[in-house]
Amino acid sequence: MSRAMSKITLGIMVAGLLWFSYSSVSAVYPFNWSSLTKYYKLFLEGILTTFQLSVIALALAVIVGIIVALARDSKINLLRDAGTLYVWFFRNMPLLVVILLVYYGFGSAVNVDRFWAGVISLSLFEGAYVGEIFRAGIDAVPSGEKEAGEAMGLYRSQIMFSIVFPQAFRISIPPLIGQLVTLIKDSSLVSVIALGDLTMRARQVGTQTLAVFEAYIVLAGCYLLMTSLISLVGRVLERRLAIP
Amino acid sequence: MKEKSVILSLSNITKSFDSQEVLKEVSFDVREGDVIAVLGPSGAGKTTLLRCINNLITPDGGDVFFKGERVQRTKHAIRAFRSKVGFVFQRFNLISHLKIIDNVALPLVKVGRVKWTDARKVAEVRLKQVGLANKLMSYPSQLSGGQQQRVGIARALVMNPDIVLLDEPTSALDPSLVGEVMRVIRRLSSEGRTMIIVTHEIEFAKHIANRVVFLNDGEVFADCSPNEFFESVSGEIAEFLTDLSAVV
Repeated sequence: MSRAMSKITLGIMVAGLLWFSYSSVSAVYPFNWSSLTKYYKLFLEGILTTFQLSVIALALAVIVGIIVALARDSKINLLRDAGTLYVWFFRNMPLLVVILLVYYGFGSAVNVDRFWAGVISLSLFEGAYVGEIFRAGIDAVPSGEKEAGEAMGLYRSQIMFSIVFPQAFRISIPPLIGQLVTLIKDSSLVSVIALGDLTMRARQVGTQTLAVFEAYIVLAGCYLLMTSLISLVGRVLERRLAIP
Repeated sequence: MKEKSVILSLSNITKSFDSQEVLKEVSFDVREGDVIAVLGPSGAGKTTLLRCINNLITPDGGDVFFKGERVQRTKHAIRAFRSKVGFVFQRFNLISHLKIIDNVALPLVKVGRVKWTDARKVAEVRLKQVGLANKLMSYPSQLSGGQQQRVGIARALVMNPDIVLLDEPTSALDPSLVGEVMRVIRRLSSEGRTMIIVTHEIEFAKHIANRVVFLNDGEVFADCSPNEFFESVSGEIAEFLTDLSAVV
């Protein structure tokens, strides 16, 4: 079976399964889609907040990640240990706890609003993972190329910026896109501090209309759409920046 | 005839890895225009010696003198010295994400502080000299091994160095590609370029070099003309040449 045929067959099977499930549930649960329509603005607000939160958090996570990766690869023991400690802490801490600690601890001490508490929590948490992605990317750059830079008389910083980072970045794109997808999904946890992201808005709509199941189906669809778009953009970027 | 001036002096270079002494007080002078073939059995310390010269490996002891002045082991001094010494690697070590022309222009831009547009013009000239004028916009992975090594040589020459160090420039190549690289090196030699070539290729020693330094067990066992070397009846050299002819 050709690849296209295989995709079409799978599509038909999934559509059939969804239709069957929907029909079965409809028999016992009266779907009420019309009540959701007047709340579409709330969903759009939620999507916008989730998108803003994720993009800003990813940008900051990339900065944190670069610092962590450089620290982990540093020749200075103190920096290397600090990088290791950072990664250990955030990889062993549930994101929900990080959000609560930042919002109720740090946030209340220096008066940070919900949005920025969410951004800080996500960037600190995801920064540990992004750091590991970058470190793997840096390590994957052939040592001979760094050595060539040394032999030319380049400074270490020049070797990093002209030889290592451009390649490490390209190598890191696929896992980085995966991490952005994870970040978007993880961002649903910020609803715990009543930040009006997509999950929070869906919960609000469900409560107000009593069409809870319908609101969560829309929520699931929105997340699938957002993450699939990101994955698509990632694939295009990967192809564009590929080294022949 | 006036004797040519000494460009590079190695004085008692020593290097150990763990408890193994790889270089034992290696000393010799390199004069302007010299083409020195460094020969020796595997593990004799040839590559280590070349890397100690430009500090890719830090020697444990001894000094390198460049044009009569000791090369200090400070970052700045080493960087300045490296800009005057070209290095050609066994496995080319080209920068994968840069086009060929930018690979060659990179040292000029980063070390020579030349603008990219001007550096590319110089790089183009160097690449034409090694017969790669039609590959300027290619990436390293799109070239054959021989072509990549010629880019490596063009890159080593772009700063117009006083001396070029070549670490087994043909040993990673398919035998059919050795000739093209050897022709480029032969031309450099005829232009009077000072070179130290670590090699297993006996043709370098016979037809291109004017001196042979034979390293054995980390020591300079012989430093002589190619004629003297190949006529030598010394046990170690004879054994080395017999082994080499058996391989070839």
